[in-house]
Amino acid sequence: MGHQFVLLISACIFCIGAVGFLIRKNPLVMFMSVELMLNSVNFLLVGYSNFLKSMDGQIFALMIMTVAAAEVVVGLAIILTIFRTRHDMDVDHINTLKG
Amino acid sequence: MLEFDLFELTKATVTLLVGFTAVLASLGVILCSSPIYCALYLIGHMICLALLFLLYNAEFIAAVQIIVYAGAVMILFLFIIALLGGKKEVQEPSLERTLAVFFVATMLGELFLSATVGSTKPIEGGFDLETVAEVGGSAKAIGLELFTRHLVSFELASVLLLVAAIGIICLSKFSYVPARRRMK
Repeated sequence: MGHQFVLLISACIFCIGAVGFLIRKNPLVMFMSVELMLNSVNFLLVGYSNFLKSMDGQIFALMIMTVAAAEVVVGLAIILTIFRTRHDMDVDHINTLKG
Repeated sequence: MLEFDLFELTKATVTLLVGFTAVLASLGVILCSSPIYCALYLIGHMICLALLFLLYNAEFIAAVQIIVYAGAVMILFLFIIALLGGKKEVQEPSLERTLAVFFVATMLGELFLSATVGSTKPIEGGFDLETVAEVGGSAKAIGLELFTRHLVSFELASVLLLVAAIGIICLSKFSYVPARRRMK
């Protein structure tokens, strides 16, 4: 399959992830939406590294996976800390810092 | 006379099917109200993406995707859901949500437009399939590139993982105690 298929599929997945991040209230599901967006970019990089006969896209995808793993670990620890102090899983209620 | 290449046809069909399955699974992630089903859909989505990576000749990345994402990251998500209890989320429509969906739909339209219109001249690198096979597979090719041209970014990634590990220890060990309990 050609360039357009890769572009369209990854654009779809990225936008679905963005919508999920904006409309969901559960921080866990918001994190999953971020993972969706990162994954769609990975797919784009791998597809184009195949079309352009270069390894740079795959190496960049590897770096994105590293960053995503670190981000998920820290984010889940923060969610756990918030839950331990508040017993509440709704991001709309965590507004103490709001001006 | 139209010549049919059965292998190419099968490959194209499988790619199409797996791609649409990935999109459907990602829709399931954002539409399910219970977080445990979201996590299961996300696992399906990641396995679909690993298959797509395989179809686009990136065997090593596909293996890493299965091990790191579908393995480690999703196990972490499932542990947290088990710990916090996956409560169902009530979705009430509001103006902000509708606006957000419209905004992202516009973005999707723009992305589609930019994907289908116009073309640039690509600059091709030196790693076609024969070269990769000569080197000895995509894992070796990635290793060769990673440890020669991208050494600095590789080391930076390892530092990033170390910082994340230290951050986790700090977060879980010296975590914040609510003010009421501290006053006693």
